[in-house]
Amino acid sequence: MMVFGFVIVGARLVYLQVVVRADLAHRAERQQEQMIKLEPRRGTIYDRMGRELAVSLDVESVYGDPSAIEDPRTMSRRLAKILSENPSALQRKLTGDKHFVWLSRKVDPAKAAQVKDLDPGAIGLKVEAKRFYPQKTLAGSVLGFTNVDSKGIEGIELLYDRALRGASGWVLAEKDARGRTVFPGGPGLQYQLPQMGKDVYLTIDEVIQHIAEKELDRGLVESRARGGVCMVLNPQTGEVLALSVRSGAHNRGGFNPNNPKDFKPDEWRNRAVTDAYEPGSIFKAVTAAAALEEHVVHPQERIDCSAGSIQVADRVIKDAHRNGVLTFVDVIAESSNVGTIKVAQRLGRERFAKYIDAFGFGKKTGIDLPGEISGIVKDYRLWSGVSLSEIAIGQEIGVTPIQMAAAYCVLANGGLVVRPSIVSVIRDSKGSEERPVVPAPPVRAISVETCRTVQKMLQKVVETGTGQKAKPSGYSAAGKTGTAQKIDQRTGRYSKDDYVSSFVGFVPAAAPKLVILVMVDSPVGVIYGGSVAAPVFKAVAEQGLAYLQVPPDDMGGRMLLVAR
Amino acid sequence: MERASFSRTRPRNVKFVVAGILLVLVLMVLVGGKSQIVRLGYQLDALEKERQELERTNRSLRIEASSLSSPGRIEEIAVKRIGLIRPSKDNIVIVKRTSGKKPHEQVPQ
Repeated sequence: MMVFGFVIVGARLVYLQVVVRADLAHRAERQQEQMIKLEPRRGTIYDRMGRELAVSLDVESVYGDPSAIEDPRTMSRRLAKILSENPSALQRKLTGDKHFVWLSRKVDPAKAAQVKDLDPGAIGLKVEAKRFYPQKTLAGSVLGFTNVDSKGIEGIELLYDRALRGASGWVLAEKDARGRTVFPGGPGLQYQLPQMGKDVYLTIDEVIQHIAEKELDRGLVESRARGGVCMVLNPQTGEVLALSVRSGAHNRGGFNPNNPKDFKPDEWRNRAVTDAYEPGSIFKAVTAAAALEEHVVHPQERIDCSAGSIQVADRVIKDAHRNGVLTFVDVIAESSNVGTIKVAQRLGRERFAKYIDAFGFGKKTGIDLPGEISGIVKDYRLWSGVSLSEIAIGQEIGVTPIQMAAAYCVLANGGLVVRPSIVSVIRDSKGSEERPVVPAPPVRAISVETCRTVQKMLQKVVETGTGQKAKPSGYSAAGKTGTAQKIDQRTGRYSKDDYVSSFVGFVPAAAPKLVILVMVDSPVGVIYGGSVAAPVFKAVAEQGLAYLQVPPDDMGGRMLLVAR
Repeated sequence: MERASFSRTRPRNVKFVVAGILLVLVLMVLVGGKSQIVRLGYQLDALEKERQELERTNRSLRIEASSLSSPGRIEEIAVKRIGLIRPSKDNIVIVKRTSGKKPHEQVPQ
């Protein structure tokens, strides 16, 4: 009997260990083995000094297993209290035979802790990455934001989504009877490491960005304007040190990417690159540069502007205020339309168009921000009888703020066209760097001599002309005011009371370190660029230069000279 | 006769016992090794979870530090709580070094 028993046991052993061994081993593998997905962490976005502007953090999301819930109504009410969600919506999700439904994504730790012990068999927590913008509204329109699945939707998050996202990895692990994960180790360990998201370093300086945003907000509140743009660039390299955009109500503040649902698309759109506007008199610097480069005018040539208006084809274009006979320097300083048009007419359309193109208008600057447009510049062969005159004073041409700022970089840096950029370097987890914007060989738009002449003319605008409110305390400055009529959408004609007020220039005048552009959309009451935008320029220049420790160059004699 | 057969079988029994003991020892080492690997695997998993938790805490603190050191917050504290002001032009005197042979001074106005 014993022998018979041993034979049966032995036979069963042979059957299990030999005959069906492969099948049983395979089933055990399927039960025990699991492929664990290794999620990459989304890269961080830093400012130029390495300060965090966008960071990902692991948080918990709440999911439910409806098939395991006996009383969805009670459970949904308990959850609704903790998660601040609609109880009816939760109940709908928790009713049914599904095994997995999201209840609330990326909740804060306090809520997750309360949910944890509710019903471990039916309600669970899954770790997901959430994007945080610790500086809140600072550079919000530049950074953009991600959706709930951490995919870039706007701004830098969108344009550099692939670099920031990285790639998932996996590891083959075993699960024990309690469901605990065990890594087999040694040569048996199969895995693929995740490729972590790369970190993006911007050219933006957090402090200068704050200065630009604060002063633009102040200017918009004072002028009760609809919105505006303030940009600060390095004229030698084209690096954008600050880019502040405001849309919507004048006291709304900036776009906060932590809560994109609280804002309309108009409020996160980066108008500095997506919107074109007629620049008005700030464009006269381009006209002046073209005329001087072609030697059709001398800076001290006297031009009769006493009529106060000029007939061009079927239109009469007027000066804002009456002038007498002015030198060309004073034509620009006093922003005389009459004087500018007279000089522009000497250029002729073909030559003028050549300089408009050389300064970068009518084409994208190539800045690394999504949605950039080319602006609106008509082919000179299609210009009407009045086009040359209109364009000379900054009407009948559509430019983006970034194009205008880039054009003033040309005037500030000695005549070279630089490509604006907002991302400095992309760095991976091993420290390797790549530069997404390779600087193109500089192209000369105008000569150094013409540049110096225009710089002096623009300096006079600030010292004695229409831009006196732009003069920063202790520093020299050069720039131009602009007050451009907007098109009335209902009539299609220029509006009499809706304007874009601008000031753009560079500081210090002789050795520029910063180009600053301020554009104010639809100010109420006082509308002139010299009154609305110029004070914002002054404040940004003073604080920006002090932060960069640029020594004042116009102290009015308050200087102590000490020998070595 | 019985004593002779007994003395022949005894060395064989001892050999079986020794072989059996050796086999058990080898099996114990093998199983022990596997068991150690599994134990270390559990430890690895626990340490990995701890590492992730610490990393999460670290990142969370970095975010908080970044938020607390934002220029807007610093400026508000400096101006409203401490009472700092921006120096005006009258408060600044620029001191410039010259390389001239004779030292000279210009008294600020």
